[in-house]
Amino acid sequence: MKDWLHSVRTLVWKDLLQEWRSKDMLTAMFAFAILTLFIFNYAMELSPINRAEIAAGIIWVVVVFAGTLGLNRSFTAEQDQGCFDALVMAVPDVSAIYFGKMLTNWLVMLFVSVLIVPIYSLLYNQSLFNAGFLLVLVLGAWCYSAAGTLIAGMTVQTRMRDLLLPILLFPILMPVNMAVVKSASGILTAAPFEDVQAWLVLLAAYGIIVTTVSIMVFEYVIRE
Amino acid sequence: MTLAIRQVTKTFGQHRVLDALDLDVQQGELLCLLGRNGAGKTTLLKILAGLLKPEAGSIWLDDRVVNYSESNARHAIGLVMHQPFLYEHLTGIENLRFYARIYQKPEDDAALEKALIRVGMQRFGGKPVRAYSRGMKQRLTIARALLHNPRVLLLDEPYTGLDLQGSLLFNQLMLEQKQQGHIVIMTTHDLSHALPISSRFAFLARGRVVEDLTNGDLSLAYLEDWLAGRLAKPALEQQKEGA
Repeated sequence: MKDWLHSVRTLVWKDLLQEWRSKDMLTAMFAFAILTLFIFNYAMELSPINRAEIAAGIIWVVVVFAGTLGLNRSFTAEQDQGCFDALVMAVPDVSAIYFGKMLTNWLVMLFVSVLIVPIYSLLYNQSLFNAGFLLVLVLGAWCYSAAGTLIAGMTVQTRMRDLLLPILLFPILMPVNMAVVKSASGILTAAPFEDVQAWLVLLAAYGIIVTTVSIMVFEYVIRE
Repeated sequence: MTLAIRQVTKTFGQHRVLDALDLDVQQGELLCLLGRNGAGKTTLLKILAGLLKPEAGSIWLDDRVVNYSESNARHAIGLVMHQPFLYEHLTGIENLRFYARIYQKPEDDAALEKALIRVGMQRFGGKPVRAYSRGMKQRLTIARALLHNPRVLLLDEPYTGLDLQGSLLFNQLMLEQKQQGHIVIMTTHDLSHALPISSRFAFLARGRVVEDLTNGDLSLAYLEDWLAGRLAKPALEQQKEGA
């Protein structure tokens, strides 16, 4: 277990350092997120009441679509130089590669979220700095990264990876999308906690189940 | 220590690349795999590295079947392939540090500097790999493969991109590997460089070893004739047909 955690930490360090140097994922995700926010801003004239209800949906759509760009890049960087083979040979267990990639994708998504939330607040004149709302984003990004990293690991080995990833991923993410939007809307419109609680439990359960199953099956997914 | 390949078979679609292949490599031997394009050399190396699963057959090391799900088994192997396995946005020394960390080997500056000196790259360790030439990447790749001191070293066209000085340096490193009792299996088309360091040559054709000769029996002209198809029939095939 100690070796496994050491490998995960090393992989995350390498991925973040590489991303910091290249800024491939961050630049694409951030540019896409900003553009989408502007499009929503011009496409919809919202009253202050509507804004609270719809903010969660807009933010989550932006995070999910931007996240897909990042997921595609996270494995192609390994595939391009054949590094994936070297990782498979080096790590104590192949699941460490999944977990390391999942953590990196999660951190990158959170970083993009941290950047777009204040921009949304400026554009729509609505503060989203609510601890409950940010907790939902953290949980949602975890669920998204857990499922997305597994699917990206599968699709990266195919010629049509850019097309296949969203086609395979989005149906799997339906419960997450619903839970994030419902719970975040509830929090922003000050709904009773009982209305939101079930969605938060669903998110946590989804994250735990998908992460656990992915750790167990990742070796079979990436092997020939 | 003996590496034994027993009845290894691998098929891609309808094409049988390796057909019940048998081969033994002894401790301290450098085996040079020769064969034309598509003979199955790279496939065999990938199977030995645990990156491909054969349909049949097994790999034995130290009288035990190699279990590639065990990290100890995988850590016994070092691999150099066509692709360098390097991260372009990291520097040479950061690449080595990453692999040293993941193999849990010394990662201090002195140890990594030593690894760079071995391949003549000490002046370039601080530069990002994307700025390297093909030969420089190949040198760093060799340093990366040797970093965890593997007992079995698998090399696919290791001379690619290396200049004369690099090729001689590489040969020196391989002689050291032999002296340490490690097993080296290499594929190459650069026969003039491979001839002085190889212990044996195994010729692959139609998924099998059709000729396996000790270096002392061979000349560069024979190797070139064999690969160019200028020999009427290799000696082993003639023997089999006679039997």
